[in-house]
Amino acid sequence: MSTTTDVRSTAQPSSLATSTAFRTFAVVTGLATTVIYVICEMQNWPLFTYHPGTNRVDWFYSPAVRDQGPAMYWYGWIATTLIGAPILGILAMLLPERITKKIPLSLVWIFPLAAVPVLIYALRFFWRW
Amino acid sequence: MGLLPDFILDYIDVSTFWTILMIVHGLLAVALLGALTHQAMSVLAPVRQVAGSSGIVTRFRAVQGAGYAAAVCVLWVVTFFFGAWIYTKYRMYVRIPIEQQGFWKTQGVFELKEHLAVIGLGLLPIYWLLWKDVRNPDYASARKWLTVVLAGMVWFMFLVGHIVNNVRGFGS
Repeated sequence: MSTTTDVRSTAQPSSLATSTAFRTFAVVTGLATTVIYVICEMQNWPLFTYHPGTNRVDWFYSPAVRDQGPAMYWYGWIATTLIGAPILGILAMLLPERITKKIPLSLVWIFPLAAVPVLIYALRFFWRW
Repeated sequence: MGLLPDFILDYIDVSTFWTILMIVHGLLAVALLGALTHQAMSVLAPVRQVAGSSGIVTRFRAVQGAGYAAAVCVLWVVTFFFGAWIYTKYRMYVRIPIEQQGFWKTQGVFELKEHLAVIGLGLLPIYWLLWKDVRNPDYASARKWLTVVLAGMVWFMFLVGHIVNNVRGFGS
């Protein structure tokens, strides 16, 4: 069995796929998504809070209101992340190529793996017997 | 009640609506799981040449991984969308009873599932790029391991979704 990757595609890559600027955007967006989301989760920084019991939306963090059901922050964390990460990706495109080329591609899979134990720790409230 | 358009209730009841959404979410997840598993196998154990009567395992990993990239991106986004939609119902009618029954670890792994789904979403642009420029030798290692990591995420999310559904899903 061969140990080398065999992708066996004969298709020509699109111009977007060969664009250095898009490569920088994609790498930085991927890395920033992981970092920003983990920070949002641990610090509880939602862009907005949704109250499903009353269908009310408040900007940023808002605690649950007594007798009106829970408050949901996950949507707000997603919003913070999915706005912040692409902005960082776009800003990174403005950097010189000699700098952005130095970002190791392996980080795009190492960061998510490294985030798992951090998130498990952040969820320690739930690991009780 | 969650994010449920009122006009839909003229045709189906509330329970049916959420059940349909849940089934669609589950079916999309199955498709995503299959696509990423094929792709991960194709990079972990690539087949150079399929000759004659190959076994099912060989055929399973003998796919052209690049052909799955766009489908995986679309499936991840759409599956995520439906999951996020159902989440309002889950938060009100599933999570609270789970907490009341003390299934804390079940709740914890579901929280982790949510987190991984978002992180995977942000990785889709670089995942797509790595698979669309397959002739670039600099991308080979990152493509292989990012695909494996995403496949691992999807397997975890799929199994946790099943567990939570078993704890308090259909019919509860």
